[in-house]
Amino acid sequence: MVVSFQLALQAAVLTVALVGASRADDVQAKLAYCKDCHGPSAQGYRGFFPIPRLAGQQTEYLENQLRAFVEHRRTNNIMFNVAHALSPAMITALAANFRHLNPNPIGGAPKQLVATGKTIFEDGVPDANVAACAACHGPDATGRGQIPRLAGQLYPYLIKELTNWGKERGQNPARPDTSAIMSPVAHSLTNRQIEAVAAYVSSLR
Amino acid sequence: MKAAGLGLALPSAMLAIFFITVSRVEDASAASKQDVQAKLAYCEVCHGVSAQGFHGYYPIPRLAGQQTEYLENQLQAFVEHRRTNNIMFNVGHVLSPAMITALAANFRDLNPKPLGGAPKELVAAGEKIFEQGVPDASVPACASCHGPEAKGNGPFPRLAGQLFDYVSNKLTNWDKERGQNPAKPDTSAIMQPIAHSLTEPQIKAVAAYLSYLE
Repeated sequence: MVVSFQLALQAAVLTVALVGASRADDVQAKLAYCKDCHGPSAQGYRGFFPIPRLAGQQTEYLENQLRAFVEHRRTNNIMFNVAHALSPAMITALAANFRHLNPNPIGGAPKQLVATGKTIFEDGVPDANVAACAACHGPDATGRGQIPRLAGQLYPYLIKELTNWGKERGQNPARPDTSAIMSPVAHSLTNRQIEAVAAYVSSLR
Repeated sequence: MKAAGLGLALPSAMLAIFFITVSRVEDASAASKQDVQAKLAYCEVCHGVSAQGFHGYYPIPRLAGQQTEYLENQLQAFVEHRRTNNIMFNVGHVLSPAMITALAANFRDLNPKPLGGAPKELVAAGEKIFEQGVPDASVPACASCHGPEAKGNGPFPRLAGQLFDYVSNKLTNWDKERGQNPAKPDTSAIMQPIAHSLTEPQIKAVAAYLSYLE
């Protein structure tokens, strides 16, 4: 009885150890897969589409976006296929890994727009009812919880998201989400203002 | 002579009142319904869709059910540098007096549920401080100005349902954020010694209690 209990215990310990090990391997393999497109340090990458920086991103935001692709709240066929194969544990592990990366921003945005962008980021555009980005994204654009880090994000990615907000985010009427907060903001910004604020945050470390 | 002078003064006074009233009405109508709705949507980007408050990078306060007099005074305080907040300075300085009045009236009528999320184990201690103060530390009962249900009154703000971390931050940083323009002393001076006398655990307790009040 005692012997069989010890055997069972050892087997259980071995099983836990194996599951742990395979998980670590699986996570590393999946991270390598993410980095094919998002860059070796998840700093973002200019593929055919601008592929966003994930490095230093808020875990809550990243997890929510991966679910958003699966739940058709956020429209992106490629990321739907990526995400629907991920277990909740894997999503958590990936998000935690990206959180700790801190590569330099890719850069490349027009430098002459940065000053205007900084003003918009810090003050908003009160006359156009555009709230200060810093109120939610923080003075350093590092985000908090469900609110994404923008610092170092790709210039063309930011422009694409702000320009197409209403067509890409909050697309499942049965599941309204926090993307609704940005909808009037994105809508009220002019193209010039979008370019300026994108240039500013893309330069932040 | 005196009677005639008075007779002239009275109609001209009435005329003056008439004109002031007319100009006020025009001023108020200048804030069109459409402009007010657009501005409300703008406020709600950060303060929440029902102005219930929001956890952005900073805790962004609940405005729902707030006293209009308090809200109007705070918007003026940002503009007059009595209250330090760069974001709200920029928001506030483009608002006309008529718009401020309209916004405050709109927020007054909202009544969403509190966001909650504060440590529940602190609520009982907080309720006691709110209702009785901390006599040994010369802290008066909060209820004496903010009311037994923390709904406020005129210049005294509603605290019921306010965000836990917002209330904690305000009470902790009172001296650095309020009453910052020596040329324009304001009612924030009333809270100064109280905020100063409360300990950190007492602040957390009373903030927890308030954050759950409907």
